[in-house]
Amino acid sequence: MNPSLNIEMDEKYFRDNVLPLKDKLFRIALRITFDRAESEDIVQDTLIRVWEHRDEWSEINSIEAYSITICRNLANDRSQKVESHNVELTAEISERSDASNMDERMIRDERLGIIQRLMKQLPSPQKEIMELRDIEGMSYKDISKILNFSEEQVKVYLFRARQKIKKSFTNIDEYGL
Amino acid sequence: MNMDYKYIEQLLERYWQCQTSLEEEQILYLFFSQNDVPENLRPYQSFFAYERSQMKEKLGDDFDKKVLSHINTSVVKARKLTFIGRTMPMLKAAAMVAIIFMLGNVAQKTFLSDNNVLDYNYAAYKDTYSDPKMAYDQISSALQKISKGMIKSENKKADSLHHSKGALGIVNHQAVENE
Repeated sequence: MNPSLNIEMDEKYFRDNVLPLKDKLFRIALRITFDRAESEDIVQDTLIRVWEHRDEWSEINSIEAYSITICRNLANDRSQKVESHNVELTAEISERSDASNMDERMIRDERLGIIQRLMKQLPSPQKEIMELRDIEGMSYKDISKILNFSEEQVKVYLFRARQKIKKSFTNIDEYGL
Repeated sequence: MNMDYKYIEQLLERYWQCQTSLEEEQILYLFFSQNDVPENLRPYQSFFAYERSQMKEKLGDDFDKKVLSHINTSVVKARKLTFIGRTMPMLKAAAMVAIIFMLGNVAQKTFLSDNNVLDYNYAAYKDTYSDPKMAYDQISSALQKISKGMIKSENKKADSLHHSKGALGIVNHQAVENE
């Protein structure tokens, strides 16, 4: 095929299928780095890297899973360099939710802080799986591809994470924690 | 209303068991994002609301432009070539037509020029004998046969003339005797 025609088709595919992933990638990077500017850079680097590997697109089953894997790797590499940012998220989130509507103001009670802490305290694969499933709304299949687990393993980890959250609710109710 | 909550309670129970589909989980998020959630379900509201609030994190509008400008450095190179890119299909079509015509001509020539048509290209003639001496012998014996035949027929002509003369002589002789 003519390479110049190919590149136009690739650009269209990129605009339609890769670029729309930016917010999801941003959130995933943000949950790893806790730094908005850093996360934006990571997403940009991720998208450029996906573009540069466009000759491999035909061999990729899920461009979404592929992009998320790159994004997570980049974010993990960089957050290892800049450790200790973890405390900032709580402040940042409650600050931003000030600007949002009535619904959220009602919800912004002490429980939000508890849940945040709870989610953060989940051990490694449970936390990521819960985030990919519940916040990003991804299928078990795609999560299993990104994290290199079987679908069954993903379900088991997610089950444990959700059970922990559920249990913590009964604790909150019973002991007012 | 009660029916609805029963359904939500069931969904919630199945959610903790990881038996809900993505669509059913969306229903839960939608349900817990509204204001009037019944008392018994309210504890879970903050959990689902937290997850939903996380979903709202987004990049700025100028981000697309930034990424696309990076990518266009490679696309711009291609844009310079688009004239050739655009005319390429036409050139290809023209080349195909030319090839078909040429093939047509060749086919016409090969099918129409049968063996019965005289071939004037003497240089293309092929020898039927590989050994020149054998060929010489063959042709010379053939020529000898012809010349022998010619000599024989010459002699026969002469003989028959001679005989007829003789016969005439006899006739004449008899005629003289009869007189």
